[in-house]
Amino acid sequence: MLDLRPVLFIVGWLLLALAAAMLPPAAVDFYDGNRDWLAFMAAATVTGFSGLGMALASRPGGTLRLTAREAFLVTVSIWVLGVTFGTLPFIFSGLGISFTDAFFESMSGLTTTGATVLSGLEDLPRGLLLWRQLSHWMGGIGIIVMATALFPLLRIGGMQLFRLESSEKSEKMMPRVSQVAAAIVSIYVAFTAVCAVLLWLAGLTVFDAVSHAFSTVATGGFANYDASIGQFGPAVQWIVTAFMLLGGGTFILYATLLRRNRGALFRDSQMRWYVGFVAFFAGLLALWLWVVHDWPANEAVRHGLFNVVSIVTTTGFASDDYAAWGGFAQTVFFILLFIGGCTGSTAGGIKIFRYQVLFAMAGMHLRRLLHPNGVFIIDFNRQRISDAVVRSVLGFMVLYFFSFVVVSLALTLVGLNVVDSLSAAAASLGNVGPGLGSVGPAGSYAELPAAAKWLLSAAMLLGRLELMTVLALLMPAFWRG
Amino acid sequence: MVTLDLRPVFLVIGLLLAMVAVAMLVPAAVDFAADNPDWLVFAASAGTTFFFGAAIVLASRSGRVRPSLRQVYLMTTGGWVAVAAAAALPFAFSGLDMGATDALFESVSGITTTGATNIANLERAPPGILVWRALLQWLGGIGVIVMAMVVLPVLRIGGMQIFRIEGAGPAEKVMPRAARMTSAVALLYLLLTAGLGVALWLTGLTGFDAALHAMTTIATGGFSTLEASVSAFANPAAETVILVGMVLGGMPFVLLLYALRGHLAWAARDTQLRWYLGLLALASAMMGLWMWTGLDIPFVDALRRGAFVAVSTMTGTGFAIADYAEWRGLPIAAMFFLMLVGGCAGSTTAGVKVFRVHILLASARVQVARLLGAHAVLIPYYNRKPIPDTVADTVMGFLFVFALTFAVLAMGLGMTGFDFRTAITAAAAAIANAGPGLGDAVGPFANYVGIPDAAKWLLMAGMLLGRLEMFLVLVLFLPTFWRS
Repeated sequence: MLDLRPVLFIVGWLLLALAAAMLPPAAVDFYDGNRDWLAFMAAATVTGFSGLGMALASRPGGTLRLTAREAFLVTVSIWVLGVTFGTLPFIFSGLGISFTDAFFESMSGLTTTGATVLSGLEDLPRGLLLWRQLSHWMGGIGIIVMATALFPLLRIGGMQLFRLESSEKSEKMMPRVSQVAAAIVSIYVAFTAVCAVLLWLAGLTVFDAVSHAFSTVATGGFANYDASIGQFGPAVQWIVTAFMLLGGGTFILYATLLRRNRGALFRDSQMRWYVGFVAFFAGLLALWLWVVHDWPANEAVRHGLFNVVSIVTTTGFASDDYAAWGGFAQTVFFILLFIGGCTGSTAGGIKIFRYQVLFAMAGMHLRRLLHPNGVFIIDFNRQRISDAVVRSVLGFMVLYFFSFVVVSLALTLVGLNVVDSLSAAAASLGNVGPGLGSVGPAGSYAELPAAAKWLLSAAMLLGRLELMTVLALLMPAFWRG
Repeated sequence: MVTLDLRPVFLVIGLLLAMVAVAMLVPAAVDFAADNPDWLVFAASAGTTFFFGAAIVLASRSGRVRPSLRQVYLMTTGGWVAVAAAAALPFAFSGLDMGATDALFESVSGITTTGATNIANLERAPPGILVWRALLQWLGGIGVIVMAMVVLPVLRIGGMQIFRIEGAGPAEKVMPRAARMTSAVALLYLLLTAGLGVALWLTGLTGFDAALHAMTTIATGGFSTLEASVSAFANPAAETVILVGMVLGGMPFVLLLYALRGHLAWAARDTQLRWYLGLLALASAMMGLWMWTGLDIPFVDALRRGAFVAVSTMTGTGFAIADYAEWRGLPIAAMFFLMLVGGCAGSTTAGVKVFRVHILLASARVQVARLLGAHAVLIPYYNRKPIPDTVADTVMGFLFVFALTFAVLAMGLGMTGFDFRTAITAAAAAIANAGPGLGDAVGPFANYVGIPDAAKWLLMAGMLLGRLEMFLVLVLFLPTFWRS
């Protein structure tokens, strides 16, 4: 039997955390003399009491233990309920947007997608702006912890490769997980603080510096201005580029910098591929801008790098309307929507390590064509990968592309044109944010039909939870027995 | 490993060239009968090609040897490239005044049954050229069927090993059986073409148009004799005949053969065939409904035309009866994905192929189910047989390389100045050997005349890669291939 009590217990505690996060925006609005502080207080009260009720009512007897099925259920319900309660500030505020829009914005926030239905951001109350950024920041840390501690155990899409060493023994698992989580949270907070200070030094106001630090390290993509990061000067763009790049890396590896095996970060093959991949495409686009579009070399490099990093790390900031860079750039940015950062980061998408496995597998297939009886081994980080991992990665890839096809066809069904629907589907599934066409960096999701917004919200959730977590709930076998 | 002996490779290429030379005599005869001076071009091309082919054969004769694996790879890729190059001669020297790039593009597009054309005014083209284009597609069609029956399963390209004629067995026994099957399939191909030709003629087409369209239909090629393609006939009966022909062309020919020999029930249970027909029915219904509601076409008419568009796209034929460059939204997105799926393995179509889509989805479903019950024995099935792990892996490897090729090709086309929509659809149309893309510059009633030469070369590479299932070509680029 599926025991719902531990599920409700955990979700309850996280809702309490969400309620607490609604207090800083309330404080900001109160300070500004904006009546929206009441909206945040009301939202915090509702969320807090719901969370408290759930946590108290379902306190489990002994130690907290989760079966695999309960873990799936916890993961999905945390995000769905978190997003639902996250809509409250938008609804209670003076913004006057529909529930669909509020849900889309909240989903886009917590999944660190960064697609927005709001425009005229400059004129919004600061409390709401901060709430959008905070939702990114919480979603970011949530996904890192889950991807580091939980997904490997659930064997989501080949993530078993990243099991923490001692996690096999169940008694030792919990302390180990909490240690790791603590390390990750401190790194995350430290990155955010450093990023905020640097942005402040580069000339941003304290509010802009802090809120953009939130959405940068979380690779979210919400900005306080319609022009996104294009609003600010080159110095800010370079700082944001650096921290997006850090946000798209494997966080647990940063912890090794403080310990003895300092080289681990630089020896990690996923990090190497990630940096190499970004450098290659940034260089390609910089050349394109410099040679074909006659941009000055330094601007070409800065904008090329910024926007490639922004899309590969699935942030979605823009320093310029890259959809206007011509057909080549559009095609490149469309393909980059499918890449994603490293595993155990705040980035969404398919993730670099899966491409490494695929490349290795395609190479093996190719060599086997020539030597049918040869024995070939797939390596990852100098370790042999088991067949089960490879299959799992394959399953993930198939589901990813299948979901992409289904979502984009459904989007055309509700009236989007081809470029919009293909790019919006890819951008939402990869938690990137901006696509091409009317949902491009200079466009907005505001004008889409409500059905499209719901579809895209679902795609964001699917992508954020690595598809299989959600799809497992849809299997009849999940609810039987 | 001994050094690579190229003699068997050249022997096969020489023989293929000799066959192309013989085929060139057909358009020569047609032009001669029509009193067109181009017959000399064809005769000269035939002579040149035959001379080279015969010289190569004579120079590389060796004893009867079983070709090694590496020789087979070289033969296959080399054969297609050599034939395409020889077949470009008539285009280059005819009165059409095509450059080398254009001539080669037309020839590659023909032999790979793609159907993208860069001849601007088909109505003014001499009859010999039109015959030659149709004949190229027809030969390319039977070529790919034979390749998919005989070569690919043995080489285990992208999971094709499940289509081995003889599951396992002594190599000596496979050859005669394979040879018998191949000639039977070739005969079936010929009969189907003849049947389609007669049917088209009965619907009122001229003998010339009927024969040529029958050839390009069964080959799911898509070259037409008219600028406006099939829509120029304004003949619903002919469209229906062509529709049936395209559906047949996208089926596995071995299965058709078995069905004709009385194993109809067995053939009907084939997973790939069922998925193929199911997908086609779904897509046709969707297109039909869309045309009915969106374009205000009468219901029955909309269904027929919807089916035509869906079938022509999925089988990678590329005949046009409606200018879908004007369409927006759902039908275009659906066509884009259908084009990439393609028809069945062992047919004249290209693309990912239906059996691969089925294997991938079956394996993915098992992966999700395995998340729940770690100890349950869950196995994906294809055709009521468990899919061996190596097959699922190779299929995935294929899909990945397919996607990668598509991405590189699309980016390359973007560099030559294509806009996003044109770049991705032209790349898909080339790799899937479909023909027309969905953008304005390369749409169904546009042609590839105006595009830059660099783009033509990229598209040619895409067509060949798609036709040769990527891996046949890529394996030649392995450093170990050339090392002894």
